[in-house]
Amino acid sequence: MFNYLKFWLLGCAILSAQPVLAGPMGFNESYMVMGDFNNNWRESFINYAITPRDAFGVSATYMRSDDRSKTRTLEELTYTRLLHRWNMPHAQANLWFMGGVGALQGENKGLNRDHDFDKVMITPGVQFDYETTRVYFMATHRLYRTSNLNHDYSAIRAGFSFYETGYDQTQPWFILETRNMNGLSDKVEITPMLRFINKNFFVEGGVNNFYEPRFNFMYIF
Amino acid sequence: MKKLLTISVLSLALFSQFALAAQTVKATVNGMVCAFCAQGIEKKMRALSQTQDVYVNLKQRIVAVELKDGQNLSFDTVKDLIKDAGYDVTGIEMSEHPVAHIKADMEAKGAK
Repeated sequence: MFNYLKFWLLGCAILSAQPVLAGPMGFNESYMVMGDFNNNWRESFINYAITPRDAFGVSATYMRSDDRSKTRTLEELTYTRLLHRWNMPHAQANLWFMGGVGALQGENKGLNRDHDFDKVMITPGVQFDYETTRVYFMATHRLYRTSNLNHDYSAIRAGFSFYETGYDQTQPWFILETRNMNGLSDKVEITPMLRFINKNFFVEGGVNNFYEPRFNFMYIF
Repeated sequence: MKKLLTISVLSLALFSQFALAAQTVKATVNGMVCAFCAQGIEKKMRALSQTQDVYVNLKQRIVAVELKDGQNLSFDTVKDLIKDAGYDVTGIEMSEHPVAHIKADMEAKGAK
């Protein structure tokens, strides 16, 4: 039991958040806290919705290459904009802009000597999602650019809920995600996850195709 | 005299019914598919001073706002709050049933 608790606390402590979960911002005048964590990608993120369509926030991201020779740490100011929303009788679709600008600290380990650098990075991107009470689809592409560096991020998610629940009940989902970060991994990470959505929280966890754990959460207040 | 008594009793009964009837604004909403995302609607409605209780039903796309005794709430206010939360109102009406009754009725019909 203690080990189990320690595992989750460790996960939460080093958590981080690519904003690709449900929507990347909450309702007007709300804060959204997000976290996304695995071995090579950790991000924590908070934003505040100043209008029903605009949110500003801060984000801290740690990225590492598969062979552990490259590490990147990025602290950025972010802006999220709901570009368009389609409200249908039993479905909703959204098109989002997400972008940021921040300080990147990088390290490339070499055979003879390591190379450290600091740069300004910009991270504009778009996300499309479609959701009903039973199915979910999301595609996102975000540029992570600075001079001589390209760590563009792409992800696709799709899933279904196991059964319908009431508004006050927790709903379990199965989600399959594929993602890649250019320049840090040549592989496509595939992660099947279990997601639990309640009106107050959103958590999901799984194990990717490299047998590494993954944990995400969102909370709006 | 008997006629007067009958009228008085009937009037009292009708008045009592009216006085006890709840006033609930019931809106039909498009795009409301996720409890995590729709919580903004509930929070904004509960923040109103006129609100007694709120009920959200995702499957039936219903948001019901029960008002405190003697309080009024315009349809436009409800529509604007739901729109601000990111959803579209496709229908709105006043119900004399309290939220508990609307909830029980929908759950009896199998709509969670």
